[in-house]
Amino acid sequence: MKLRLFLILAAISVTLVHAARLEPSRRPRYGATLRVEIGAVVNSLDPAVAAANPEEAAAKDQIGALLYDHRNPDGTFAGVAGSGPFRIAAWDPGKHVTLAASDSSRGSRAFVDSIEIQMGRAAKDRLLDLETGNVDFAELPAEQARSASDHGVRVSASDPDELVAVVFVAGRPISEDAHAREALARSIDRAAIVNFILQKEGEPAGGLLPQWSSGIAFLFSTAMDAAGAKQLWSQIAGSPTIVLGYDSADSLEQTIAERIAVNARDAGISITAESVAGPGSASPNFDARLMRVRMPSPHPREALVNLVAMLGPLAALDVAPLPAGVSSDEVFDRERAIVNSYRVVPLVWLPQVYGLSARVRDWKAPAPGESWPFADVWLDQESQ
Amino acid sequence: MTFRSKLFWVFTLALLLSVGVIAAGVTLVTRQAFEDLSRRHSEALAAQFEREFDRRRLDVAHRVQGIADAEGTVRMAIELSRPKADVSVYVNDAHGVSQSHQLDFLDFVGNDGSIISSNEYPARFGYKMDWLTQPQDWATLGSFLTTVDTQDGPALGLMSVSTVRVGDSNLYILGGERLGKDFLASLVLPAGMRALLYMNLDPSFQASNLIDDSGPVNLGERFAPFIAQEQQQPGRQTFAIAWTPDPSGSEAFHALPLQGRQKELLGVLLIGNSQQEVVELERRIRLLAFGVAGMGLLVGLLLSWWGAARVTRPVRKLAEVAREVSAGNWSARTDIRGRHEIGQLALAFNQMTQELTEQRERLLQAERVAAWRELARRLAHELKNPLFPLQTTVENLRRAKEQNFDQFEEVFRESTGILLAEIENLKTIVGRFSDFAKMPQPELGTVNLNDVVRAVVKLFEAQFGAVGRPPITSELHLEENLPVIQADATLLHRALENLVLNAMDAMPAGGVLMLRTTREDGGVGLEVSDTGTGLTPEECERLFTPYYTTKQHGTGLGLAIVQAVVSDHGGRISVESETGVGTSFHIHLPAKPPQMPAPVSAPVQSQAPTPSPVEAPPTPESAPSEGA
Repeated sequence: MKLRLFLILAAISVTLVHAARLEPSRRPRYGATLRVEIGAVVNSLDPAVAAANPEEAAAKDQIGALLYDHRNPDGTFAGVAGSGPFRIAAWDPGKHVTLAASDSSRGSRAFVDSIEIQMGRAAKDRLLDLETGNVDFAELPAEQARSASDHGVRVSASDPDELVAVVFVAGRPISEDAHAREALARSIDRAAIVNFILQKEGEPAGGLLPQWSSGIAFLFSTAMDAAGAKQLWSQIAGSPTIVLGYDSADSLEQTIAERIAVNARDAGISITAESVAGPGSASPNFDARLMRVRMPSPHPREALVNLVAMLGPLAALDVAPLPAGVSSDEVFDRERAIVNSYRVVPLVWLPQVYGLSARVRDWKAPAPGESWPFADVWLDQESQ
Repeated sequence: MTFRSKLFWVFTLALLLSVGVIAAGVTLVTRQAFEDLSRRHSEALAAQFEREFDRRRLDVAHRVQGIADAEGTVRMAIELSRPKADVSVYVNDAHGVSQSHQLDFLDFVGNDGSIISSNEYPARFGYKMDWLTQPQDWATLGSFLTTVDTQDGPALGLMSVSTVRVGDSNLYILGGERLGKDFLASLVLPAGMRALLYMNLDPSFQASNLIDDSGPVNLGERFAPFIAQEQQQPGRQTFAIAWTPDPSGSEAFHALPLQGRQKELLGVLLIGNSQQEVVELERRIRLLAFGVAGMGLLVGLLLSWWGAARVTRPVRKLAEVAREVSAGNWSARTDIRGRHEIGQLALAFNQMTQELTEQRERLLQAERVAAWRELARRLAHELKNPLFPLQTTVENLRRAKEQNFDQFEEVFRESTGILLAEIENLKTIVGRFSDFAKMPQPELGTVNLNDVVRAVVKLFEAQFGAVGRPPITSELHLEENLPVIQADATLLHRALENLVLNAMDAMPAGGVLMLRTTREDGGVGLEVSDTGTGLTPEECERLFTPYYTTKQHGTGLGLAIVQAVVSDHGGRISVESETGVGTSFHIHLPAKPPQMPAPVSAPVQSQAPTPSPVEAPPTPESAPSEGA
């Protein structure tokens, strides 16, 4: 009996001692500086100053969410800089910004004392810094997630929330030919794009909303139909050539565009892939554009409305407005109408991929419409 | 043209022909030598290309094999040999590996022929290269030329295949170098040469497929026919393209077909050799040759001139001596010496002249004797007729005196009358001879021969139709536009009178007397024809000999006077006659006598017998001098 009691007490003692030794690393700690690298270049943090490009706008939005505690319905920030969990400690426009934890924030104080954000870092530099432990957080291209993981980088990916699609430019002769649009849509091997180009990071897109959001994305076909595409293309009079544009600064777009061209040519479609000066820009020389649209909200209606708002002007989508509170069936009908018009050809859904150092704790990838939760993360000093 | 000029031109022509033949030969040989040199250069470059090509083959094969032997590739092959292997992880590997091994093209191809990773066409992953799964197509070739699909379109590549075999699964490594401007730039070319590559990537000729070491070739379409020929029948060929009208702007090309695995034409290597240097060198050589030829020609011309002069000098001397001889200087001799043909000719000429002089002397002597005899015979004949009546009259007068004839007075008167008449007759005979001996020098004036003819015919018109004489009809054929001549009208009148009298004597039974004047080269012509009895050839030969006559009572001086007048005017006279048909005298008178002829009284030589038609030369005729 005494022996049993001794053993029980010994076991409890060992467990308590061991628990006491592990407890500090599991308990959130205040302090330290979160080192962040982003690819975008932010030249002004003033909400009133418009961003030069979507990339800057997105980065500016993320930083703004750390500085302000209130957001207007239109998405702009309200109040003064510093009302949020962080305030600006140092600012070198376009290069570097240091945010310090604000003690006067309405919410609880951030765990980290400061955040140092390096701007304009190339993807390969960010990956290299992650591998060498010189940075705690960095955005990574989705296609590099697997490679980064293979190289020991801690990778975090969101649900796929960014649609890559081919958008036919309204008014172009070939764009107004439904057979040509459908032929191109059928010729594309989406699975190969996901598996090879995206290294299985993402999913083929048949609809305009991801499966995790709408729940019915599987109803849209993502299969390649080269024979059907060839038959459709043969019905087109003359010998037209589709000029597919892509953002010259986006290597992923370029790779996908070239793969589309290979698929299309295999189906007998005459197509050339050419670069465009910038994202979203249209040119009278292009019949179609490769575009990336990120969901602003996980809700299907808001996401579809945003997508129509983003692509509608270029593709001249003839879609009735979706008022608030419409049923999911109506959202599906709108989505199907757009997809069946082949003016927007969904290709793949991309997740947002982040590289994290080993010391970053309590990180959770933000959902569409959410900001980086830097106020909630803490840094484990012993993991360095 | 003189003999010297002819000789000079013959020499010059021979020299020109020789120089021309040599110049043409030099040019031809030079051109052939340069063409041969150019061809050898091109062939050497083609051989260099083939060596470089072979070296690159080995190099490419070595590097591809190096990739196959690399640990990463072996690990890839092992991973891919497993069931349900994830090939997507290797999709970007070709790029890095190709860069580390300095290959333009690199493809990792799975066991089923699907592309796992491609450097030159990254987006082609998953597509198949079925031919790789048929090793018999490439295994024995080592490296080979083939078309490679790239992101920018088809290209030519020098490729090699290596295989990594794990169990039953193969991983094919297809790698190679682009055959393009970089390859051309790596060829070491002599100055003036360049290498072009036509990539036979399209069914028909495309100028954009023709490149040099800097990119597409300007005016590439000029190669279209030659490339088309290669496409139809691949093989080595040479051709030239004239880039400019100037020959120096042309370029000779040596075409080398590049064939693939199935012997299909994939490209054509064109080795260009600029002809500028060759043409300029040819021009310099030609210029030099022409300069030397020109100098040689000049020297040759001078030598020809000198040689012609040297050769023709003795001939010219001989000609001068011959002219002197022909001018009457029978003592002229040439001093040309030597054993050559001209010397022998000169010797023969001197001998001939000597012989002719002696023969002439003998002939002159014989003719002089004959003339004296003829003169003596004529004088005897002429004088004998009056002498006989004189003798008879004197004898009658003496007899009448001795017989004391009553009618002596009457006889004396008659006899003295007869004596005086016969003496007068003698004086007439002597006067005629004297007249011939004292033929006057022509006093030249402007004379229209037609006028002279008309005057003479008018003089004799009455006698042509005289009673008791068979009629003679005169016919005048006078040239209307007969030019005037410088002559003595009186002498011409006298000469024509003699001819007309002669014709009348030749037509005792009547006939036709025809007088014709004609315009002749350098003067005028006169023809006097009759339809009389005609003359024998022998008579024609002696017709102009003084004191020769065929008539019973002629003095034989009429035609001699005619000939003397014609000769004094620098003209010539000839006769044509046929027995029983008639006789024609042809006279040519120059527009102006070349020089005043020697006086008739000067010693002349008798005319040598001439064949009928007889023509008397315009030299002073031979006639016995008055004193003779």
